[in-house]
Amino acid sequence: MKKIPLVLSVNGEEYDIYIPPNRTLLEVLREELELTGTKEGCGEGVCGSCTVLCDGFPIRSCLTLAAEVQGTEITTVEGLKNEDGQLDLVQQSFIDRGAVQCGFCTPGMLMSAKAFLNRNPSPSEDDVRKGLSGNICRCTGYTKIVEAIMEVAKKK
Amino acid sequence: MRLPSFEYLEPRNVEEALEMLAGHAGRAAVVAGGTDLIVRMKQRLAQPAFLVSLKQLGGLNYIRRENSLIAIGATTPLVSLRDSDLIKTHFPSLAGAARLIGAPSIQHLRGTIGGNLCLQTRCLYYNQSPFWRSGRPPCHKDQGKICYAEENSDRCRSANQSDGACALMGLGAGIVLSSTRGTRSLPIEDFFTGKGESPFAAGPDELVTEIRIPVPGNSEGSSFQKLTYRSAVDFALVSATAWLAVEKGRISRARLVIGGAGASPLLLKETSDKLVGKDVHDKHAVEETARQARNHASAFMVDNLGSTLEYRKKMSAVMAKRAVQKALDRCLGNSSVKGRKSQEDQKS
Repeated sequence: MKKIPLVLSVNGEEYDIYIPPNRTLLEVLREELELTGTKEGCGEGVCGSCTVLCDGFPIRSCLTLAAEVQGTEITTVEGLKNEDGQLDLVQQSFIDRGAVQCGFCTPGMLMSAKAFLNRNPSPSEDDVRKGLSGNICRCTGYTKIVEAIMEVAKKK
Repeated sequence: MRLPSFEYLEPRNVEEALEMLAGHAGRAAVVAGGTDLIVRMKQRLAQPAFLVSLKQLGGLNYIRRENSLIAIGATTPLVSLRDSDLIKTHFPSLAGAARLIGAPSIQHLRGTIGGNLCLQTRCLYYNQSPFWRSGRPPCHKDQGKICYAEENSDRCRSANQSDGACALMGLGAGIVLSSTRGTRSLPIEDFFTGKGESPFAAGPDELVTEIRIPVPGNSEGSSFQKLTYRSAVDFALVSATAWLAVEKGRISRARLVIGGAGASPLLLKETSDKLVGKDVHDKHAVEETARQARNHASAFMVDNLGSTLEYRKKMSAVMAKRAVQKALDRCLGNSSVKGRKSQEDQKS
């Protein structure tokens, strides 16, 4: 398979890479760029654990070809923290509220939550549940996750 | 799982895309968002030699009014349909269907209406990993000669689970197909073949470029109802959409469609016609319609989705009833208080 050159902008940094065209964004993030914060769950677009932001919108990185996102700005969980190294409000709230158990869904949850809150600064609990309905968590029962997101919304 | 090998093509405009499709006819697949195709490629259910990306074809992302039609570009993301005032006002069934496809995180960028319309038919015994399928001979859809869903079936019995296709068929949409040979427009009924092996009437060199829907009058209403186990990221076990027009307290035109039953959304012409002339408050007529819908849909259903066949058959009546009732409510709402929207319409 002929490799293709690609310029990806991830967390504000530009990466020049040379990859076979059949690589998904998830594979490139984890294997080429060593940004292993983004997790692969089902690999079929169902669970949402591979969610990253593309120009601020959540996408499934396991179903997105890396070549398809050239020219956009990708944000992964590694890029959530502020410039001074402080955790993002959503991350801190997940910790404070105990919204993490095994942690595997957490990077995807954080990215979906971040994109959701950017568009819905004062949501109802129902809005949060609908907004995050594309992310599956098998541990928490979602209660703590919803609470954590509601807390961030109240602080803003 | 890694994707199979392919050559990636990125046309800069529609003309270039059509030339690529014509040049590699039968060996190329179109990728808009990829939420269906990439999964099928991972499962080795599709192994195109060329992948034609529509990424740079920004010209196909629009919703606009053209006289008595609303035209929707094929790569318009589902979220645009979900949130568009034009769609919410005129076609609440389509806005509702868009809201129920996947989840918000899929509707934003990757899920497109053209892609959803072209969602391949699905079956519990086909949409599986290569390992799962390797245990026995391939089925009709996998170029084999056997059907695991229906014993002794001589053809593929997979189901169309596209919510967009079901809603669009209810609205009597037209599908615009383009190729280097020219452009043609098909009524949505003719876009589907009804065959599980090859569900679409589009040629291998053709691209769905636009969806055109006639703008309804004031006393018309539509609704889409979907049955799933999960509230998000799930395909319809059975769905129904109804589009109705009301004149002088009676139903004057009707289109009832059942999704998730056959290889195409089922337009129930006979059942729809029987609704015409009925009083808008005739509950018995709605019940009777639901019963007929179940009878017709049951003839197409086989045990091939993640629920028992009997339950899906029963629920086809319930979905049909809810769709007709909701569409009627909207007809009456539209004619008495113009522009009034139900709570369901406004939620997103």
